[in-house]
Amino acid sequence: MAMSDMHSPFVERCKLEADNRRQFLSWGMGGLGAFFLNAAMAAPAPKPGASALQIKRDPSTPLTPLPPPFAPKARRVIYLHMGGSPSQLDLFDYKPELIKYNGRDCPDALLKGKRFAFITGIPKLMGTLFPFHQTGKSGAWMSDRLPHLEKHIDDLCIIKSMRTDQFNHAPAQLLMQTGDARVGHASLGSWVSYGLGTQNQNLPGFIVMISSTSTVANAGKPLWGSGFLPSVYQGVQCRAAGEPVLYLDNPKGVSRAQRRQVLDAVDEINRDTYRQFGNPETVARIAQYEMAYRMQMEASDAMDISREPKQVLARYGAEPGKTSFANNCLVARRLAERGVRFIQLYHWGWDSHGTPVDQGVNVGLADNCRATDQATAALLADLKSSGLLEDTLVVWGGEFGRTPMQENRGGQEMKYIGRDHHPQAFSIWLAGGGIKGGMSHGATDDLGYEVVRDPVEVRDLHASMLYLLGFDYRSFSYPYQGLDQKLTGVKPARIVSDILA
Amino acid sequence: MSRAKGYLPAWLYLACVVLVTGLGIAGAMALRPAFANSVKEFFGLQAAPVAAPSSFYLTRVAPLFEAHCASCHGERRQKAALRLDSVAFALRGGRHGAVIQPGDVKNSELMHRITLPPSDDRAMPPEGKTPLSPDDVTVIRLWIAGGASPAMLATAIKGAPRLVREVAIPTLDAEAARRQRQVLAPDVERLSRRYPGLLTYESRNSAGLELNAALSGHAFGDEDLKAFTPLFSRLVRLDLSNTAVTDASARLLAAMPSLRSVRLTNSKAGDDVIAALASLKSLKSLTVTGSKISQQALSQLRSHGVVIYGDGDAR
Repeated sequence: MAMSDMHSPFVERCKLEADNRRQFLSWGMGGLGAFFLNAAMAAPAPKPGASALQIKRDPSTPLTPLPPPFAPKARRVIYLHMGGSPSQLDLFDYKPELIKYNGRDCPDALLKGKRFAFITGIPKLMGTLFPFHQTGKSGAWMSDRLPHLEKHIDDLCIIKSMRTDQFNHAPAQLLMQTGDARVGHASLGSWVSYGLGTQNQNLPGFIVMISSTSTVANAGKPLWGSGFLPSVYQGVQCRAAGEPVLYLDNPKGVSRAQRRQVLDAVDEINRDTYRQFGNPETVARIAQYEMAYRMQMEASDAMDISREPKQVLARYGAEPGKTSFANNCLVARRLAERGVRFIQLYHWGWDSHGTPVDQGVNVGLADNCRATDQATAALLADLKSSGLLEDTLVVWGGEFGRTPMQENRGGQEMKYIGRDHHPQAFSIWLAGGGIKGGMSHGATDDLGYEVVRDPVEVRDLHASMLYLLGFDYRSFSYPYQGLDQKLTGVKPARIVSDILA
Repeated sequence: MSRAKGYLPAWLYLACVVLVTGLGIAGAMALRPAFANSVKEFFGLQAAPVAAPSSFYLTRVAPLFEAHCASCHGERRQKAALRLDSVAFALRGGRHGAVIQPGDVKNSELMHRITLPPSDDRAMPPEGKTPLSPDDVTVIRLWIAGGASPAMLATAIKGAPRLVREVAIPTLDAEAARRQRQVLAPDVERLSRRYPGLLTYESRNSAGLELNAALSGHAFGDEDLKAFTPLFSRLVRLDLSNTAVTDASARLLAAMPSLRSVRLTNSKAGDDVIAALASLKSLKSLTVTGSKISQQALSQLRSHGVVIYGDGDAR
């Protein structure tokens, strides 16, 4: 009788009705999960030694601080990305021979087999527009455009032999920031955040700030995306004016206690969802909501530069309430003091083609130097006097270089003076944690066209940065699509030993 | 008699064959010194050249051949019967003869091939392989010009581009670190629970600890620092910036022998703390920005070679 009851059409129907679509899916997912778990357990054990290097993280506390594999020279990074790419030939890479050939036709040998973004036909060689001089104990050559930075020349390591294989902005920026020219790879900051977590549990480990509200970098948000890493490691974009993060403040009439209540309710639902589906991204989301709640206090305080003394604001050229590179530099210092691991600044405007006047080498480049020079120098000065420079790695640079030829878009002589994109050679500088100051590394030929000594590929720069942060670029990886993905990619990279202190 | 009629004796045949072969070998040896060398080596008349340790060849040239040439001219493949994976093979040459004329850069086929423009079909390494840098070409040129010697010391050849130093990445021995950590692990765990986020290991390779009390700010005082007493011997970095720690803790700091770096930005610490630090032998750097510390106290530390950041008389 009991048996017949259980199989009565009525009971069957009740059971079927109880099985709603969601439950069906969740069982399905569970089944799939079990299947994969089975497959994973049947997989051969990892190589001995490999497991020690793997990063194990509890998805519910994804940002717990972790020590790096070996003792680091740098504990945090401030990366000043100069979007558009400043002309190395007008700032750091002094080429007197190029000045001699100013206005002459570019030799065929240099053009044969080369592709340019805009140059066509035979362009004219163009020497620098600005006077150069030697400076500092190291006798480094610099143009007169960066007088404030020049005071720190003996702390800088200028790499004059950077090379890339991308000659358009977006892919070149992606290569610089994620190690790959295509979208979908993890950015430098995400790797660091994944590997080290965040020291200050009330702030994200990876913060991004942009100098302008209108122009962002060409490649957009993937530049600070987490790619194949869990999304919790992506950069958090903060704004210098208004709320640091959109919707961070409580809406009018909502108290912090009420916000807490809402969060508790949402967390409960999310936890339930996690129990049902087991997707680690759900736990990551809970962690992100909690972080945002804690950030309400700490982030607002860290980003509020109006608390800085007047003379400090003046040294940076910062104006509270505005959106500017100067403000961002000052905030960068405040974030570094508060234990943020990776602070990424973007400043667009160096794309000196000479098409509109503000993108000329003569006008636009000079404007951008003025907009950034003082604040960059003030940031270095503050880091130095507070001892933070000892273990803060500062990186400055664009995504490629600019041609030693004047741009002749469409084969025509142009109204304003410009230079085209030049991936074969460009200059960047580094300072701080573990970097040898007061030196130049590598060299280009007499026209500044090709690297002739100690070339540094983008992956070499990345390998060196990871080394300074205490990681072995060969083993710092994340399994994705059947490959142990690495920041340095699959081609052999090398640590640039000459630039290490 | 009739049996031999019309035929020459067998020994004469044999003599003819030996003579012709010998002439052939001698001729080939005369025309191709590389071949001569391998024949002499085969008969033990000449020892195969062996590269000397710290020779220019072994330290500078061999790594280039290995990285740029040996995948086609090496143990596994020998295109044009040429191998460049040892100095003996390199000097022997390939199917078309010697590729290196010691002392004669102009007539060395190898030199010719590596200096052709990349567009040339005969350029080496061929397109798609890792090209030699101008510095690499210089190294090979100097070696051939100097006699392509397997023995000449690296220091004997002047004007060679600087040798790039390779960085040795430390190997991770997590097991050793775990053993070192074991003794104090319960204390580390207890204090990490009490002060979340302040205590971290210096690296996964080390039992050294870092205490970042700055993250707690004013809430962290002398009593809190005292709570970490069991771990004092292991502290390598201490950040007391913005904390309420005062000179009352000077005695505690004197008991941290492994400290390498101390940060006291905007702290309440004074000269007593600095005096305590002066007894620490491993201390390398100290930051005192915004703290009330006398020049006298700092000068003592400075004389010990400690790098000092911050106000004081550094400004």
